[in-house]
Amino acid sequence: MKNYKKVISVLLAGTMMFSLAACGGKKDNNSSSANSSSQDASTAENGKVDKDGYIVKAKNTDSKSKDNDLVIAIEGSVSSMDPANIPDTNAISATRGVYENLVKFDENNEIAGQLAKDWEISDDSLTYTFHLNEGIKFHDGTDFDSEAVKANYDRVVDKNNDLRQRRTFIVTNDDGSEEPRVASVETPDPNTVMFKLTKPWSPFINRLTQFCIISPAALAQYGNDIMNHPVGTGPYTFVEWEEGDHTTLKRNDNYWGDKPGVDTVTIKEAPEAGTRTAMLQTGEADFVYPMPVDQIKAVEGTDDLSVKASDSNIMRYVTLNMDQPELKDLKVRKAMNLAIDKNAYVQLMYSGYGKPASSVVPESISGYVEQPAYKYDLNEAKALMKEAGYEDGFKLTLWGDNTTQEIKGMTFIKQQLQQIGIEVDVMPMEPATINDKIYVDKEESKINMWYVNWSASDFTMDGSLRSLLYSTMCPPVSANTAYYNNKDFDKDLDEGLSNADPEDQKKIYADAQERAWKDCPWLFLGNDQVIFAEKSYLSGVYVSPDGAFNFADAKLAQ
Amino acid sequence: MGRYAIKRILSAIPLLIVISFLIFMFIHMIPGDPARQIAGQDATKADVELVREQLGLNDPLLVQYGKYMKGLFTGDLGLSVKNGKTVVQTIIPRLKPTIMLTVCSMIWAVIIGVSLGIVSAVMQGRAFDYIAMLIAISGISLPGFWLGLELIQLFSVGLGWFPTGGLASWRAYVLPSLTEGAGIMAILARFTRSSMLETMREDYVRTARAKGLGEFLVVMRHAFKNSLIEIVTVGGLQVGGLLSGSVMAETVFSIPGVGRLLVDSINFRDYKVVQALLLFFALEYIIINLIVDLLYGVINPKVRYS
Repeated sequence: MKNYKKVISVLLAGTMMFSLAACGGKKDNNSSSANSSSQDASTAENGKVDKDGYIVKAKNTDSKSKDNDLVIAIEGSVSSMDPANIPDTNAISATRGVYENLVKFDENNEIAGQLAKDWEISDDSLTYTFHLNEGIKFHDGTDFDSEAVKANYDRVVDKNNDLRQRRTFIVTNDDGSEEPRVASVETPDPNTVMFKLTKPWSPFINRLTQFCIISPAALAQYGNDIMNHPVGTGPYTFVEWEEGDHTTLKRNDNYWGDKPGVDTVTIKEAPEAGTRTAMLQTGEADFVYPMPVDQIKAVEGTDDLSVKASDSNIMRYVTLNMDQPELKDLKVRKAMNLAIDKNAYVQLMYSGYGKPASSVVPESISGYVEQPAYKYDLNEAKALMKEAGYEDGFKLTLWGDNTTQEIKGMTFIKQQLQQIGIEVDVMPMEPATINDKIYVDKEESKINMWYVNWSASDFTMDGSLRSLLYSTMCPPVSANTAYYNNKDFDKDLDEGLSNADPEDQKKIYADAQERAWKDCPWLFLGNDQVIFAEKSYLSGVYVSPDGAFNFADAKLAQ
Repeated sequence: MGRYAIKRILSAIPLLIVISFLIFMFIHMIPGDPARQIAGQDATKADVELVREQLGLNDPLLVQYGKYMKGLFTGDLGLSVKNGKTVVQTIIPRLKPTIMLTVCSMIWAVIIGVSLGIVSAVMQGRAFDYIAMLIAISGISLPGFWLGLELIQLFSVGLGWFPTGGLASWRAYVLPSLTEGAGIMAILARFTRSSMLETMREDYVRTARAKGLGEFLVVMRHAFKNSLIEIVTVGGLQVGGLLSGSVMAETVFSIPGVGRLLVDSINFRDYKVVQALLLFFALEYIIINLIVDLLYGVINPKVRYS
């Protein structure tokens, strides 16, 4: 009888929750405090994040975990455990438990040593010398040394291995010929490794944060099947990888650094957001990522759950094809930027969890400099349109992915540009179809505007801008769909590439950003945050701006 | 019957070849270049070209098809472009969850659906009939996505009886099977009822009653047995559908089955995996149809195979 009552009450509660959630969706702006049942429960207000990154902070801060096993529920799939052949960000996160790099990004997104103690870059920016930490062993008991670094380099560049990372070290020219970026890898002693570049290439050090070192003995044994038998130096050893379901790692008791705080780590794939939230509520998961904004209300007022936000390196923008007659005119492009209410965009699309774009790159990119905002100003926008001779406006098409979220964004752009007389035809398409339409020769190109986003996983300015805005990178070569062509900007990027001096780079890249910002090859929209939720007894897990989660320092309060 | 079965199996081979050709051509007609997908967002034209060359995508379509067929007959289905695993390695682990889910969903859906159908046919027009048909209509009309999430809220978050998904234990299969089976249960209930109502008006049922057989025997041995053909046909189709994976249930309950694999592979333009899966689904339908045809003979000895 008692049980029966419980069923009824839960049923009722469930029904109420659903109806509340249904109401909540419609009146986003004023409902957050009204919906909360108890006054003292911490409540989420749209876009409000405290200084520690909390959107919702758990009330009960000394709750305890029932075990010492960390479970992370994620949306996508861990599609590979071979760090040199990574198809997605989740695979980066999972492999980082097992493997380490010479250098890494720390929590503040600065480059720090990992397997390398320290390093020097020669004045000509050609020789990178790394001094390795001593006494490190791979999980199979073999020693980590400079030879191991070289063995991994040799493996990656070997064409027969067909690895995605090969492109980091080898450039393929348009005629199919190949140019190595690294002239030689030398190992003067077991604790020193030197990379000699063929020509200066400043993103090199950033790229090494993705160059994981695998045990050469394991590589010799398994070859490319190493993806099923990962052996690295990291804080966790590999247990199993069931693609589509889960990946399990366990504590490496012989780890050379700070010993890991949890016994096992399981990365569980749960594609449905509602299910991930439920997993957190039932305790099946300790950390869920990503947490959609519409799920935040479902966990508000829960004692031991927190929701946090952190900045991403996602740049959201619309490319403007500058070869299009109307879009050739800077006044028009500027007017279009002024006609878009960026704050409203962030509010509408990300419930306020994000910022209007303040440069051509997000803040997390090395060398970012804030640019003067194109403040939402319809009068000035209209005046500029008039000056350009387009007082009566014109018509443009806008391409973008056919997901609900992207269509919402495109519809917003359409509505905003309508205000200055520009009629936008929104054309959502399946992503691979868009690629087919974009990567065509210039004469065949039909693109007007493309609603798109970009995240540079190496956090370099070059990685953020070259493919998108460098003059020779127009389709079909790469993704400069604005057909932006500014020789001074190109020169900045080239100089930035060949000069690895941090101070010089700052100046060069500040100039590049200013030029591209003033030229308005894009509608600059925003940078959204990544949102994740966790049990309050969990600490030390965070999501870096590239969307990879880091659990090396995870701790579960017992 | 044995000869018939062998004949049917042999006749499936040319059918599969035609299907494989259609699948191959359709997949290659979908817009979207797998080479670009693999090469990644910052790939240059030269990078993409290199991948195309490596994958053999520059060969004429018929040459590619020829290679594919050769691989098919030698058991080499190629490699997944996503991570370099063989297609077989990619698909096999995904089959078990789908098969388990199919079996669990079918068992309860058949038992409950058919029972509801029989009883409501016998009690036509009475309260039970209405209630049973109300359940059936709800089963068909409730969106699986909603039902699944609601069951999770109730039984996982609220009561803590079952996990939210996964495959860890038998308990994990309960909620997805309920979700998956609801619609099938409903369809079977409706079909059983209408088919029973028809057979119960037949002369042989009246005769059976006239010779004084008990009502239970009349219903089960005479009416139900003759309704079975229709039920088996409908049920067979449902099994085929379930074995092709359910993207909905697999997504809501985080189950790594073939449905999600198919969608992921299409999005990634992982041609080889998509081809193998579609061909496999075609094979499944052929086999299930064969089994259904053979069952006809078991149910009704008057059915002759030629």
